[in-house]
Amino acid sequence: MVAETEAVAATAPKRPGQLADFWASFSENRGAVIGLVFVGVIALMAIFAPFVAPHSPIEQFRNFTKLPPVWEAGGNWSFPLGTDALGRDALSRLIYGARISLFIGLMVMSVSIVIGVILGLVATFAGGVVDMIIMRIMDLIIAIPSLVLAILVVAILGPSLENTIIAVTVVYMPRYVRLVRGSAMSEIGKDYVTAARVIGVGTFRLMFITVLPNCLAPLIVQAALGVSDAILEAAALGFLGLGAQPPIPEWGAMLADNREFIRSNPWIVTLPGLAILVTVVAVNIMGDGLRDALDPKLKRG
Amino acid sequence: MIKFILRRLLLTIPTFLALTLVTFVAIRLVPGDPVEVRAGEHGISPERLAMLRHEMGLDQPVIVQYFQYLWQLAHGNFGTSLRTSGPVATEFFSLFPATLELAFCAMMFAILLGIPAGVLAAVRRGNVLDHGVMGISVIGYSMPIFWWGLLLIMFFSEWLNLTPISGRIDPIKFYFDTPTGFMLFDAWWSGQEGAVWDAAQHLILPTIVLGTVPLAVIARITRSSMLEVLSEDYVRTARAKGMSPLRVVGLHALRNALIPVVTSIGLAIGSLLAGAVLTETIFSWPGIGTWLIESINERDYPSLQGGIMLISSFVIVINLLVDVLYGAINPRLRHGR
Repeated sequence: MVAETEAVAATAPKRPGQLADFWASFSENRGAVIGLVFVGVIALMAIFAPFVAPHSPIEQFRNFTKLPPVWEAGGNWSFPLGTDALGRDALSRLIYGARISLFIGLMVMSVSIVIGVILGLVATFAGGVVDMIIMRIMDLIIAIPSLVLAILVVAILGPSLENTIIAVTVVYMPRYVRLVRGSAMSEIGKDYVTAARVIGVGTFRLMFITVLPNCLAPLIVQAALGVSDAILEAAALGFLGLGAQPPIPEWGAMLADNREFIRSNPWIVTLPGLAILVTVVAVNIMGDGLRDALDPKLKRG
Repeated sequence: MIKFILRRLLLTIPTFLALTLVTFVAIRLVPGDPVEVRAGEHGISPERLAMLRHEMGLDQPVIVQYFQYLWQLAHGNFGTSLRTSGPVATEFFSLFPATLELAFCAMMFAILLGIPAGVLAAVRRGNVLDHGVMGISVIGYSMPIFWWGLLLIMFFSEWLNLTPISGRIDPIKFYFDTPTGFMLFDAWWSGQEGAVWDAAQHLILPTIVLGTVPLAVIARITRSSMLEVLSEDYVRTARAKGMSPLRVVGLHALRNALIPVVTSIGLAIGSLLAGAVLTETIFSWPGIGTWLIESINERDYPSLQGGIMLISSFVIVINLLVDVLYGAINPRLRHGR
């Protein structure tokens, strides 16, 4: 009898785990997989920058300033993508730049998630005046044009890499708060929450262990898309001279620094922007795939 | 309806108050004593310092200072620029038309290209055209527009010599009064030959740069909203009646598909102004964006404070109008929560 049951169990198709389920749905989307691969490669490059980059990003080779890339006349194989006006290797700066941009993107995302989850859940569970105050503040932050608010924060704190992260977090955090509050509000009326309440689950546990896991799917999607927004916003601040300060190889700042050579050395200006674009596109199409896989309700077409 | 408008109006009051509080606190957190900034680099006598402090009302308690600030705002006084010693509001409103003109053209560009592109993609769903439109749209909304602007300048201005690099009009060829601040109109009004064309040429690249992200977003929203509408019963009925596909799509489907698109356009005003800061910086466009960046570079904090106050108020008012208009179109929203 026991053997029989086991035999039947063995022939029955195994119930796919949540992860396998998710992967099956995600990998259907070819674009999303390509995005994931690109993000993976860029992330690896960023992590292993000291081993991948041919030179230090800040070393100035004074005899080799404004070198074109190798495929143009006058290129030099020791500087595959050429050098900037100070003789710094463009490829090395781009690779180290991936570190800066991804770091900013991930930091902004993690801090925003933590604040978003806490404020969103507190607004939901406290309700009343607390809810109103939190949400009014979020409305206000959203009413100020994103870059203008970031500029104001940088004006107060001074331009630097750390302050870029703070400024961009302030700008994007309200989206996470609204999202968590929105999904928590729709969960809180459901039977399982009432049941948990009835058996005496404490508010804290109710917030973080009962309700939060059911709000995660849209949060993960927002997080992925939030990384790309943060990267773009930080690069814009860098471009305006209000972000990471020299000699940090930040992509936006690299563009601004070399702007005057747009005519004589178009590559110095083209490459950092291309790096930003490729990274942001990769994160975005990966995020779209995540959304379709995690949240079939949001699936678009 | 009036009740709905009133309720929305009342809801914006706390937002406005919070905004004044933010700008008031922000200006006090900025490094540097405003009195010393005004007095200049060189030291002045303590008596003179105290007098200035008194004149500027800085010897009052902070709460009193806040209410004085509110009082000033209520009288249309948004501070005094450190650069020009003129009122911030006057400077703001003399530059604002330039930004509005640019933002308006960018939005028109985005709407006129984005809606047809989205409709085409939806109608030809799954086809090469659809994939093309969606692919370009992903690139569009991932675009670092400051780089995009530089690329366009490199291509169209430096290599092809087709468009001017910066500014709103050629100051050597044309000189005329700008009563409205909207260059296209002022150029036409001046009656000078070729002025309108010159102003339009100056507008082309900035319009494309600022319009790129909204274009991508509009194309995407139009497509998904159109797809949803096309599967509705009334569209099927119209088709079954033997109506031509063009009429079905253009008349029945598009009208209903446009509701979310219109909302998103209204709500995009804020991000459009943020994009304008970058676009104006690249093209030396003499608008609010360039002015804000100059203010921050020259530590003209009163201008920054007043400018942010005015821009954000503008966005809040626009969002209010969008809400009210949306409520007028969609009665369900009016009576809902």
